[in-house]
Amino acid sequence: MEFLAFASFAILVVGWLVAPSRTVTPVSHAEERKAA
Amino acid sequence: MEKINAGDTAWLLASAALVMLMTPALGFFYGGLVRRKNVLATIMHSFFILCLISVQWVLWGYTLAFGPDIGGIIGGLDWAALRGVGQDPGPYAPTVPHEAYMVFQMMFAVITPALITGAFAERKRFKAFVVFTLLWATFVYDPVAHWVWGGGWLGQLGALDFAGGTVVHITSGVSALVAALVLGRRVGFGREAMDPHDATMTVLGASLLWFGWFGFNAGSAITAGGLAANAFVVTNTAAAMGALTWMTVSWLHKGAPSVLGAAAGAVAGLVAITPASGYVDVSASILIGLGAGIFCYTAIQITKRFKVDDALDVFGVHGVGGAWGALATGVFATVAVNSAAKDGLIAGNPGQLGIQAIAVLASIVYSAVMTFVILKLIDLFVGLRVPESEEVLGLDATQHREAAYQI
Repeated sequence: MEFLAFASFAILVVGWLVAPSRTVTPVSHAEERKAA
Repeated sequence: MEKINAGDTAWLLASAALVMLMTPALGFFYGGLVRRKNVLATIMHSFFILCLISVQWVLWGYTLAFGPDIGGIIGGLDWAALRGVGQDPGPYAPTVPHEAYMVFQMMFAVITPALITGAFAERKRFKAFVVFTLLWATFVYDPVAHWVWGGGWLGQLGALDFAGGTVVHITSGVSALVAALVLGRRVGFGREAMDPHDATMTVLGASLLWFGWFGFNAGSAITAGGLAANAFVVTNTAAAMGALTWMTVSWLHKGAPSVLGAAAGAVAGLVAITPASGYVDVSASILIGLGAGIFCYTAIQITKRFKVDDALDVFGVHGVGGAWGALATGVFATVAVNSAAKDGLIAGNPGQLGIQAIAVLASIVYSAVMTFVILKLIDLFVGLRVPESEEVLGLDATQHREAAYQI
């Protein structure tokens, strides 16, 4: 049981490492007005 | 008869107050998830139920659920209007006043129908909601509470439910799914965005729910001792694992670690540990929290795929989380934690898992059928939904003639 508990937490840690880390580029007000 | 224990009584009354806080907290949790034109109506659902069931419970709810057993099905009317329920201990808790036990159980009866309101948010007529709540509490919650905790047939069978996996979460979750199907989808569902109007309110509500849940689970020990401490620790651990898991799964699935996902995951973990909290150790609570995050998240994706408008995902979190927790109790329970209980599958008693499955199935079938009948009757005599024009305007203005925000 203890092994499974440690293993399940380890799976989450691996998940955080492989999860996407992309960010959305902020759009400036000028670009928003231009697009509109 | 044992003497009243001051520590037990103080802890039980404090726990009742903690559980009381959960219902307004649920109002904020749900209130943040709806559009701003419906936030007052959504909070009102929870606040109104706190008042309504507080009265229903003392008049006839408590005696139906916990009164002297009639055929394993329902409690007798001996304790109607709390006749005979006083300051001396009752049959369920020998070290606390019977009234303290009654009021602790009252808070469970309050929050259970409030959980369902998330499924019919933004479209149900207030009058229909009032009638539904009263009928549902009387004909669904009270009997099932009797079956499991009041000396009824599921308790006699040996079903383990420490704080309400079957009684609270499966009944409300399944009823929510039935309500969503009977009421139908909101106007514009699938065509227009129905984003939460205030995610901060939802996270605050989830945090207060987590806080109150210590009373829900650790209070269910009824004594202020080691069992309460174990329930407290496993409750916190499962909530944390549920939040971490849901956030991780949604991050991998949708590309971003959702704040609302973490809040929903914490609630899913709390739901799943509820029936198990007095029977399992901390390692099991980590696995139960992990399962809650995965299963509840998946269930919600499936209901969305079928275009079921369970507006605030009550079935996915409470129905599926409650069923997982009840079955997991049959897997992980151990007398090392609670000598008055029974071992589960891993400790060498596979039969317990079968008993848990019967309890889950019985709760699902009974609450689904009864909820369907109650809703159809209300639709016939009162009408379930507001007219489309009122739904578009919002329930705050049309049902309550008030507005949440003046800014």
